[in-house]
Amino acid sequence: MALEKAVIEELRRAVGREHVIDSKNDLRIFERDASIEGAVPDAVVLPANTAEVSSVIRVAAKHRIPIVPRGAGTGLSGGAVTIHGGIALQVTRMRRILEIDPIAQTALVEPGVVNQELSLAAAAHKLFYAPDPSSQKACTIGGNAAENSGGPHCLYYGVTTNHVLGMEVVFADGSVHWVSGDSPDRIGLDLCGVLVGSEGTLCAITKIKVRLLRTPPSVATLLAAFPTIEAASQAVSAVIGSGIVPAALEMMDQVCVGAVEAHYHAGYPTDAGAVLLVEVDGIPESTIELMAAVRAVLSQNQGYAMREAQSPAERDLLWAGRKGAIGALGRIKPNYYLHDGVVPRSKLPQILSAVGEIGIHYKLPVANVFHAGDGNLHPNILFDLRERDVLPQVESAGEEMLRAVVELGGALSGEHGIGLEKSAFMPWVYSADDLDAMQRVKVALDAHGIMNPGKIFPDPKRKHAQLAGRTGLAIEAKWW
Amino acid sequence: MVVKSATAEKPATAEELARRLHEAAEAGLAVFPVGAGRAAQMGDPPAREGIELRTTALDRVLEHSQADMVVSVEAGIALEALQAELGKSGQFLPVDPFNSPGHTIGGLLASGWTGPLRLRYGSPRDFLIGIRVALPDGRLVSAGGRVVKNVSGYDLMKLHYGALGTLGVIVAASFKVFPKPLMDVTVESTHESVHEAWVAAERVLAMPMAPAAVELFPNGRVLARFLGSPEATKRMVAELGWKKADAAAWDLHSKAAPARWARIAMPRHQLRSIVDNLGSDQQWWASPGIGIANWSVAGDADDVRRVRAAAAAAGGSVVLLAGPTEFRHDAGAWGTPPATLHLMRRLRSAFDPNQVINPGRFVV
Ligand SMILES: Cc1cc2nc3c(=O)[nH]c(=O)nc-3n(C[C@H](O)[C@H](O)[C@H](O)COP(=O)(O)OP(=O)(O)OC[C@H]3O[C@@H](n4cnc5c(N)ncnc54)[C@H](O)[C@@H]3O)c2cc1C
Repeated sequence: MALEKAVIEELRRAVGREHVIDSKNDLRIFERDASIEGAVPDAVVLPANTAEVSSVIRVAAKHRIPIVPRGAGTGLSGGAVTIHGGIALQVTRMRRILEIDPIAQTALVEPGVVNQELSLAAAAHKLFYAPDPSSQKACTIGGNAAENSGGPHCLYYGVTTNHVLGMEVVFADGSVHWVSGDSPDRIGLDLCGVLVGSEGTLCAITKIKVRLLRTPPSVATLLAAFPTIEAASQAVSAVIGSGIVPAALEMMDQVCVGAVEAHYHAGYPTDAGAVLLVEVDGIPESTIELMAAVRAVLSQNQGYAMREAQSPAERDLLWAGRKGAIGALGRIKPNYYLHDGVVPRSKLPQILSAVGEIGIHYKLPVANVFHAGDGNLHPNILFDLRERDVLPQVESAGEEMLRAVVELGGALSGEHGIGLEKSAFMPWVYSADDLDAMQRVKVALDAHGIMNPGKIFPDPKRKHAQLAGRTGLAIEAKWW
Repeated sequence: MVVKSATAEKPATAEELARRLHEAAEAGLAVFPVGAGRAAQMGDPPAREGIELRTTALDRVLEHSQADMVVSVEAGIALEALQAELGKSGQFLPVDPFNSPGHTIGGLLASGWTGPLRLRYGSPRDFLIGIRVALPDGRLVSAGGRVVKNVSGYDLMKLHYGALGTLGVIVAASFKVFPKPLMDVTVESTHESVHEAWVAAERVLAMPMAPAAVELFPNGRVLARFLGSPEATKRMVAELGWKKADAAAWDLHSKAAPARWARIAMPRHQLRSIVDNLGSDQQWWASPGIGIANWSVAGDADDVRRVRAAAAAAGGSVVLLAGPTEFRHDAGAWGTPPATLHLMRRLRSAFDPNQVINPGRFVV
């Protein structure tokens, strides 16, 4: 449904003629994010600053047109997809690092700043920005804040919400506000806390103040092989159970290791059932002691072929394999569907065997590469879109995997968000009253529902969850 | 007890609490949720009378999964009881609030009180992973879950944390817990002047392995705590050259609770200038790494207003945690509300439209 000419004109006045896209061909570029579902927006606007964002949202509010903030479009749950049409608010022209304050150890950035750019800029001050999604070369800080993104180093350091000090946001009526800031305690309700992770459904984020941390003087990175996924999972629990929380604790299964090794030649052991990548950081005394302790625990849990990076270059290579794993899997099949779920860490062996069985049942290869320390799994279903009728199979397999996650007491998403992809599954974990509580927040802040409609909440206009009602261990155990 | 109540009740279950809350709401009565009452004087004096709903009968550990390092508890459990349970498996919840012992978990979450360890671990805001609250319409609603990483829907935990119960009475909560550190060392040094103490505190904070807690006192004393692996901790203590102190110093410190108590929260590097201007007759202690100072107000509402104006101008705040009713009434517990007050009010109305819970006490 094209927007009226008059509306397009209003948008042009708001951001400048050349920063409104409404030609059919050009709009197609904004049809999708990194998930599998797409929808073409009616218009794309590219504001240059907060005032322009506010003007655009006022136009949208006046005409009750859906408005969908969009960063780099690397989201994996369809968050940036304009499923109900409307305006894609593309914030990538707002990409300045406004300030790095080495004394306060903070940075103030515009939402379109790419995660890695911030890391590089901070590095000049011997500081770093902890949340490091594997997509960090492309994804934006605005997108990270909207999704409350995580990354390998979030095991020790925490996810995005733990590092956002305050934000400037534009609400659904176009009003601009700062929420929270540099002070450790705010006055009143924690709006910032609920806006982080709200997936563009409550506000557009126009500035973000984040905490930077001192770069640890010493880092040790270890790769260890295990005969089976179960053994590796056991080892994960054992490490953390021993009182050590490593900076990162990542797992890759054999399918993944094979692809990565063929691509990166990083020396990953291709015969292993699974490998763990463990990193500890701190002062040298600390990394030496902790790594020795980690090694001991891993050996006791069938770890072998342990290899510690001897140089920063070797460390980077090991990480390149991990962070580039998804790309490397293209060697096996051209398309992937990367899933995201979290189970209590001790349930890793169970969920991984369930995931394996589901893959076998659907005759779809599955590769696992994930944040094991957090219990945050990422089964990656590999397929070839050119194969007939494969997509429904892929979707069903994914849904079954998620179902298994929930039945083990887990969560629908650890970092990719609910978006479009999982909104129908929300009743698996939340009761109608629970969802209603979230809906009250939505209505309080966006009464007309123009901000990113069709996300997070089950959409009556779209497919229903086949299985409704609260499920999983939490309910069976009647723990609350 | 400042909260004037017609009656006090102690529901035995979350369902009963929700029912009583609902009945009170229907009858037009106010409800004051109370845990152990450690923060009973926080905020403005209540706007009207009502019933007290005590959570202390809801004191069970619902589940502690050692391997997952996750614990779910009812809101009325005392922090010390929870720590005892977690301690059996070498774990703990890193919160060490002042005016201890006795805080209930629900009270800690609602009040947002923290202590020195916030420097290393952050506040419960950072490790609260699930919550269950009772609403004035009688519903019990949950958010979050029992996994350590979760982005399934809105993070309502954040909204309830520090909201003084105004969006619902907290009946249960889940936390990510932490392994006890391999080594835990406390050191201290006493300086000629408070100026030197601030300098010393900055020095500890800049150590290559960051301290887990640093507290500074007007008598020139600085207390610091290092947690970590044995060799690393040993090296820090050696480099610093301060004398070892008994870990019991922290227990003693956590009992602090001024009768007229204000909490100053500042961007970290602005804290000192505010504290320096309190006046030499004032008692206080500061957490320079966090940006918080606790002030025992030896003065009147004007003094609070003066300090608050300076704090606000530098991006901070002054909140009253305790004091006689008139004092809190005169000074105002919270200061100037933020520009987003209208949005906060809408949120409050969405959950408690008739201001049943803690009317008048909170910002909204
Ligand atoms: C190969 C690959 C690896 C990945 N690895 C990880 C990982 O390790 N950890 C992880 O957490 N995620 C990961 N992701 C997912 C994705 O990169 C993150 O969700 C990222 O934060 C999205 O950022 P973006 O800029 O691309 O946002 P987009 O995809 O453009 O948008 C995502 C959501 O945020 C909203 N949004 C964007 N900008 C704003 C704004 N300024 N204001 C308000 N709302 C906004 C959008 O409406 C949408 O709902 C990965 C993705 C890929 C493709």
